[in-house]
Amino acid sequence: MKKQHTGWLGKVYLALVLVILYLPIFYLVYYSFSSGKTMEKFGHFSLVHYRVLATDTRMIQIVINTAIIALLSSLIATVIGTLGALVIKRVRFRQQRQVLLSLNNVLMVSPDVLIGASFLIFFTVIGLRLGFVSVLLSHIAFSIPIVVLMVLPKLNEMSPTLADAAADLGATPWQSLSRVTLPAMTPGILVGYFMAFTYSLDDFAVTFFVTGNGFTTLSVEIYSRARQGINLEINALSTVVFLLSLALVAGYYFLSSRAGRRNRVMTVKEGDVQ
Amino acid sequence: MKRLMSAMIAILLICLVLAGINWQLDRSSRASQDNTLTIYNWGDYIDPALIKKFEKQTGIHVDYQTFDSNEAMLTKLRQGGTNYDVVVPSEYTVSRLKREHLLAPLDHAKLPNLQYVSAGLLDQSFDRHNRYSVPYFWGTLGIVYNDRLIARHQVQHWRQLWNPRLRKQLLLIDSARDVFAMALIIDHHSVNTTNPVYLHQAAHRLHKLAPNVKAVVADEMKMYMEDGEAAAGVTYSGEAREMMDNDPHLHYLVPSEGSNIWFDNLVIPRRAQHKAEAYRFINFMLEPHNAAQNARYIGYATPEPTAKKYLPKSVTNNKAFYPSAKVMKRLHVYSDLPLKDVGTYNDLFLEFKMLTR
Repeated sequence: MKKQHTGWLGKVYLALVLVILYLPIFYLVYYSFSSGKTMEKFGHFSLVHYRVLATDTRMIQIVINTAIIALLSSLIATVIGTLGALVIKRVRFRQQRQVLLSLNNVLMVSPDVLIGASFLIFFTVIGLRLGFVSVLLSHIAFSIPIVVLMVLPKLNEMSPTLADAAADLGATPWQSLSRVTLPAMTPGILVGYFMAFTYSLDDFAVTFFVTGNGFTTLSVEIYSRARQGINLEINALSTVVFLLSLALVAGYYFLSSRAGRRNRVMTVKEGDVQ
Repeated sequence: MKRLMSAMIAILLICLVLAGINWQLDRSSRASQDNTLTIYNWGDYIDPALIKKFEKQTGIHVDYQTFDSNEAMLTKLRQGGTNYDVVVPSEYTVSRLKREHLLAPLDHAKLPNLQYVSAGLLDQSFDRHNRYSVPYFWGTLGIVYNDRLIARHQVQHWRQLWNPRLRKQLLLIDSARDVFAMALIIDHHSVNTTNPVYLHQAAHRLHKLAPNVKAVVADEMKMYMEDGEAAAGVTYSGEAREMMDNDPHLHYLVPSEGSNIWFDNLVIPRRAQHKAEAYRFINFMLEPHNAAQNARYIGYATPEPTAKKYLPKSVTNNKAFYPSAKVMKRLHVYSDLPLKDVGTYNDLFLEFKMLTR
């Protein structure tokens, strides 16, 4: 009886949290269909803001730029971060490992503005033109620590005897890495990639400093519109982006649940063999 | 491993496709022009139709970049590494840019349309003889009031804001210089004074205002005024304009004893790489038809009397946004004060804000 009661309370609490989290987004989506110019009064239903968005090539280009930066920077950061995690794991002395990890974490917690400003100074000192490359490099740089942090626990979970066993059975170091270690790390790597992706997608502070020469990202553009008040074209765009990310999450869920089923089948088979 | 590899290749392919689309869009919008003009402006602070018109007229491709504050823009200009051909700083930033030798002097012979700009708005203290800058938009500091809550004649002058009738009915913009300007003007002092006696006198005056102040706010003032939360507010003309568009009961006025005037200006950075195109663009924006079109889109006051002809009479006859010559003479630009004095202003303002809690 008591258990049921807490269950009910829990559900209400959960619903409340979800509503609070999603309400602003739905509010924004709702007004994207308004014919008016502001979010104060809903005119009548209209797709005018979507039409404006569709003809705004500059905005579309900015969205594409943002997507490329996010996809590419998180990919490269994942490769580097995974290698980094492997190296950190291999360091024998605990103290040294701790120092490496702390250095990694310092980058995680230091303010974005600071990182952005130092990148700006760094790039201009070495004479790199600000633009696509500078944004890509800085995004890679701030994503690496996140990937390391996501991958390392998976690596720690893995029994060290697995690699030894592979070596015993005659696997070369490369084979043991690609056939044993990496597959065990895969969930961590994927999570790391997605975390890096979202970090890159919505970063404003760092990106603001290193954009230039005709290259800009969505967050910088939207933020700089604040002085004039943000118009409903942004609402339309946000709606599109929101639906896109919803589709991505759904797709990821679908894929992973299918993969999960396959894995289960495989383990059952292995069990049968035993 | 295989799964990771295929995921990696898939991501790279998506990137490639996106880059392809981007390249295609770039090509179609650029239409085989090599010369590009980079404009660095506040977000959404120009009518996009004008950029299209300029591109069509001149064949120059415009690259529109945006910033969100003078300080951020200053940092990017200072640091270099980027090329901007036309930038739109506010007046105190112009003097700062000038001091740091970041601006190119303007050749007025290349800007024939400068003749259309009102003489009263040229040759301001932040840039004598407009050597480096040309006004883009301008506005004032003033009082916005709600006619359902208070009559016009009760909020016509700065002094009247101290009236006990306005108890807890006043909103102030969260800016030290602007709030002190009210008090300094009442005492007939310069809004740029650094004399500590005058400043303390002003602070003392403001302390007496505290009971009337409902809140010291920024952008939220729009919302509060439209909701009728307060009878009057001290804010900028541009902000007031937006409130009035949403609520016909709100009105704006500039006290006749004087106030602050602000400018956003067009400048060419010293390191600009397309100066010829930059001149053409500035000249294009100064053309009265274009200036009027831009003013209609943005809603701020245009510096060109000729452009006013193309705007609705209801706007240009409004004394609040285009004050009479007599009032114009009493409007003062803030000068860029030394850091020490900015500190004094801020400290005294903070004290005042604590009183209003």
